Amino acid sequence: MIELIVFLPLAGFLAAGLAGQSLGDRGSMLLTSSFVTVSALLSVALFFEVSGNPDAFHTVTLGSWIQSGDLAIDWALRVDTLTAVMLVVVNGVSALVHWYSVGYMAHDPSKPRFFAYLSLFTFAMLMLVTADNLVQMFFGWEGVGLASYLLIGFWYQKPSANAASIKAFVVNRIGDFGYSLGIFATFLLFGSVQFDTIFANVDAVKGTTLDFVGYDVPALTLVALLLFVGAMGKSAQLILHIWLPDAMEGPTPVSALIHAATMVTAGVFLVARMSPLFEAAPDALAVVTVIGAATAFFAATVGLVQNDIKRVIAYSTCSQLGYMFFALGVGAYGAGIFHLFTHAFFKALMFLSAGSVIHALSDEQDMRQMGGLRPHLRTTWALMLVGTLALTGFGIPGLIGFSGFYSKDIVIEAAYAGEVGGSLFAFVMGVAAAFMTSFYSWRLMFMTFENKPRASKDVMSHIHESPMVMLVPLFVLAGGAVFAGFAFQDWFVGDGRLAFWAGSIVQGEHDVVDKAHHVSKWVEWLPTAMMALGLGAAWLFYIRSPQLPGQVAASAKGLYQFLLNKWYFDELYRALIVRPIFALGRLLWIGGDQKTIDGLGPDGVSRTLVAGAKRMRRVQSGYVYHYAFAMLIGVVILVSYIAFYSGGF
Amino acid sequence: MATLTVTPVVAEILLAVGAMALLLVGVYGGKRTLSTVWTGSVALVVLAGAAVLWSSDQAPGVQEAFGGMLLLDGFAVFTKVLIAVGSAGVLVMSRGYLVKRDLDRFEYPVLAVLSTLGMFIMVSATDMLTVYVGLELQSLALYVLAAFARDRARSTEAGLKYFVLGALSSGMLLYGISLVYGFAGSTAFTDIAAIAAGDGAAGNIGLIVGLVFVLAGLAFKISAVPFHMWTPDVYEGAPTSVTAFFSAAPKVASMALFVRIAMGAFDDMIDQWQQVAIFLAVASMVVGTGLALVQTNIKRLLAYSSITHVGYVLAALAAGGEAGREAVIYYMAIYITMTAGAFAVVLCMRQDEKYSEDIADLAGLVKTRPALAVAMGILMISLLGFPPFLGFWAKYTAFLAVVDAGLVWLAVIGMIASVVGGYYYLRVVKLMFFDEPAASFEPQRDRGVKGVILTTAVANSPLSLLLFGPLNTAAANASRAFGL
Amino acid sequence: MDGFLFDYLPILILTLIAVVVSGLFIVLALTVYPDRPDPEKLSAYESGFDAFGDARGKFDVRFYLVAILFIIFDLEVAFLFPWVVALKDIGLYGWLSMGVFLTILTVGFAYEWKKGALEWE
Repeated sequence: MIELIVFLPLAGFLAAGLAGQSLGDRGSMLLTSSFVTVSALLSVALFFEVSGNPDAFHTVTLGSWIQSGDLAIDWALRVDTLTAVMLVVVNGVSALVHWYSVGYMAHDPSKPRFFAYLSLFTFAMLMLVTADNLVQMFFGWEGVGLASYLLIGFWYQKPSANAASIKAFVVNRIGDFGYSLGIFATFLLFGSVQFDTIFANVDAVKGTTLDFVGYDVPALTLVALLLFVGAMGKSAQLILHIWLPDAMEGPTPVSALIHAATMVTAGVFLVARMSPLFEAAPDALAVVTVIGAATAFFAATVGLVQNDIKRVIAYSTCSQLGYMFFALGVGAYGAGIFHLFTHAFFKALMFLSAGSVIHALSDEQDMRQMGGLRPHLRTTWALMLVGTLALTGFGIPGLIGFSGFYSKDIVIEAAYAGEVGGSLFAFVMGVAAAFMTSFYSWRLMFMTFENKPRASKDVMSHIHESPMVMLVPLFVLAGGAVFAGFAFQDWFVGDGRLAFWAGSIVQGEHDVVDKAHHVSKWVEWLPTAMMALGLGAAWLFYIRSPQLPGQVAASAKGLYQFLLNKWYFDELYRALIVRPIFALGRLLWIGGDQKTIDGLGPDGVSRTLVAGAKRMRRVQSGYVYHYAFAMLIGVVILVSYIAFYSGGF
Repeated sequence: MATLTVTPVVAEILLAVGAMALLLVGVYGGKRTLSTVWTGSVALVVLAGAAVLWSSDQAPGVQEAFGGMLLLDGFAVFTKVLIAVGSAGVLVMSRGYLVKRDLDRFEYPVLAVLSTLGMFIMVSATDMLTVYVGLELQSLALYVLAAFARDRARSTEAGLKYFVLGALSSGMLLYGISLVYGFAGSTAFTDIAAIAAGDGAAGNIGLIVGLVFVLAGLAFKISAVPFHMWTPDVYEGAPTSVTAFFSAAPKVASMALFVRIAMGAFDDMIDQWQQVAIFLAVASMVVGTGLALVQTNIKRLLAYSSITHVGYVLAALAAGGEAGREAVIYYMAIYITMTAGAFAVVLCMRQDEKYSEDIADLAGLVKTRPALAVAMGILMISLLGFPPFLGFWAKYTAFLAVVDAGLVWLAVIGMIASVVGGYYYLRVVKLMFFDEPAASFEPQRDRGVKGVILTTAVANSPLSLLLFGPLNTAAANASRAFGL
Repeated sequence: MDGFLFDYLPILILTLIAVVVSGLFIVLALTVYPDRPDPEKLSAYESGFDAFGDARGKFDVRFYLVAILFIIFDLEVAFLFPWVVALKDIGLYGWLSMGVFLTILTVGFAYEWKKGALEWE
């Protein structure tokens, strides 16, 4: 079954990619979507079969990949609860996005290519989550990076899309470099890259050190941090986050699938998968916590002032990924994955709803050109509302709530209860970010749907609700956004969690998740209060007195610009890294390659040769006496040379 | 009193008697017997090649004739067969061209036969006097052939230039011979070899100067730099079929003679003639390659190409010994297939009642005459020496001999020249295959030209993998059976 | 004296005789001739051509042809004299060799005759 799940999308990719012309638009769309849908249904079945049932955990070895000395790597599919959860998320969202795209991409001329890429991405992501060793995971890791690159730059006629795809690829390379170093260090340390072998030997290598750029560093911490660098790149954590907002240049379904629900969570998955290793490296966990918390806070602040609807959601994603990471950092791996799980539903829902809005407004993305859409797009409004409620964590503590309510609260509580360094910082940041999340989410709702329309009459006259093929996937996602938290909280983070995870991530009877359930009431209520506060503030700013945002922005101009320009990260990198590298590249290109190597090498040689040949040609005058003279000179030179050589004189 | 031994020289006698007979048939038969003379000439050359093989079977080892003035050894057999094949091949493709240029006269094949006779004598010569007789017989016939289109200024100019400069080179050769005779006391190779092997030969400055003059005279015949100046002008001016003839058989004969004198008469003075060979080789490779870069006339291009190839052969010669000798004749055997094929293609460049010589006219040949373009492409790439085409094996053997002789730097120069040479060969290929058609040549109806193109193209194609083994063995055996 | 150089003694003697004889002729001509010059006598004879003129002037190519043909047969005769003297010593082999030589020359002669090279008009 697992083979079918993994390879059906590959089959779809190959069919649509190689035979897209003969299959036609409709054929390619239906084929790929059906394959992924079958894959998704099988994933659900597998989830119920495997989760909480350690006897059903298994690894399918497909064949040997690399055999070189001690290094032995197999193609293998590892199935356990963690994998099953990821399979459901990946295939579920992917299938829904496939169907949604049938409607969304209806006017695009190269549909087979788009669907081929989507299926390729799905396959790579499945290889990533089913890997049973670090190298195969790296294969999937690079595969999703490739698909992401291709899909961000899908509209390759747009220069901005091209730039964004290159940016995403390059920034990911930095992370991937860390990841590959991590793999090397792992092999050095454990003599294997296979998960089971690594986990079994974690205790044995505890306390050893490795030589890294001249320093002796604790081996486990080093390995964990190197792998985490990879995770930071892929999951757009602070420092390496800059590619994610730009990635919104891709089609909206891509943003939903890759840059919200699945690929960006690969880093979270990696840390969860390697949890036995991270658990043995508390310093690394502290770093994860701090980075995650900082990202959650930073991205939320930037999200407050963005005007592009997709960018707001993108920063929201970035912020939520920060939540997941600090959940992992404080040791609540289950909570991190739980938030990943629920987030996939409501964030995909929000993106796709935003896509629906954009679609209705003839590709307008600026929220300042929206407003007053509620009467025209009632269904979309309702779906977006569900997404917003889930994202902001709407619910009544101890009673009931949307999915985000369950996952986010447990994350914040875990941070409060956490004992790793940085836990308190994470808690404070998390709470602050919760307020801001609520504010920017409702800001988005109000700016888009309430008040008077700001779009042109022409646009408003074309406004239309999306077709059913786009809406049905949204209903499914909405269902998940509403119920996923309530339905699964017991398994993921509740009393059933030990049986549910069954050792696929690190769990303990009295671990941080357990403690998170026994925090004081005020901690329990705090996120909810923040949510309400954010809602109130947004209502005040955008419904009650719409002139207020302008006044605030004017009075705190510096801060406003700072946030609007995303803390000037792009500018900083451009000045510190991009420009020096470009200058160096230009120096090597013009000075080194063109002037030195080409100049003295191919170009210079050919120039010299041709010039020399032209000069030599003048000797070839056509006059017999010149020729005879040359012969005589030749013989004189030869005679003198040989005579000298023989010592005749 | 010397006894009359004719077995080793049956081929020469055949050629001499046959040439005279054909001359009389031609002159008294007029137009009626023109075809007979052509057929007879080709048959005669082929027969001479067969006669050489027959002679070599009559007695084992080295055979002498005319009191040791001529000999027949394995080396001579190999080169003579090569010369016969080259002469016959070029004769076969000449007539159609001459008819179209209104030059079809019976003297042409007879002169070619006489020239071939001269080459045979050169190859077999073991005395300075026979060397000179053979060389002059070959050259005089070629001077006339170069000026064969006597109504054309370019052709007569070519003939005259070749004659005047040839006379100068003959003068050098004779001067060298007289010096050698003066200081060695004999013109026979065996006697000269004995003096060269003796004590004090290295300090015998007169002998050395004589040797250098003899080699300079021969360098003119193989058109090695700086004695090459006539080559482009004569190649360009002479009728194309004559140029094809020039580039094939006479080169083999002169090169064989070079080997014979250097390794036969002066074998023990290798220190001296090796320097001469290296000098000529380097100069030829550099100048030939350099000047070929700027040519626009296909015949001039092939002229410089031949100069460059002579440079490679001389490099192999400089290696000395059996391996060097083997590389030389192996290279020459392969070279004549390449050059004869290339000139056969040039013979197909006819449009609007005129023969074109402009490289630019080859543009887009693949669209108008695909088979011709493919054949020319194969020949050009083979001339470039790209594996696994036949020309590669020639260069490989040559450079291997050079490296084994410890002259690594010479091989490096050769390889650099080869790489630079890639430009002008590949330029022709690029023109033919990637540019828009510039000219449309008339279809070639002459079976002789077609046959030569087909044979040489197939031989030079990667199918040569089947060919180079036997050829290599034959060359190695010939080199081992060197009679002096 | 060196035996090798001794072989060249006759040549030295011949050279001396040549010098003496030619010198004698010049001396005699300068001393005993009757001195009655006229323009025709003073001009050098060059096959009917003006001895002092532009060297690049055109004249009939047939002169060259006849001269070259003459040289060939002139040399043939020059070659025949020593052969006749030595015929007794070289025997049948020598006799046959000259036969071959003359045959070749005759073939050439037949060719040039048929080609019309010997006809002035």
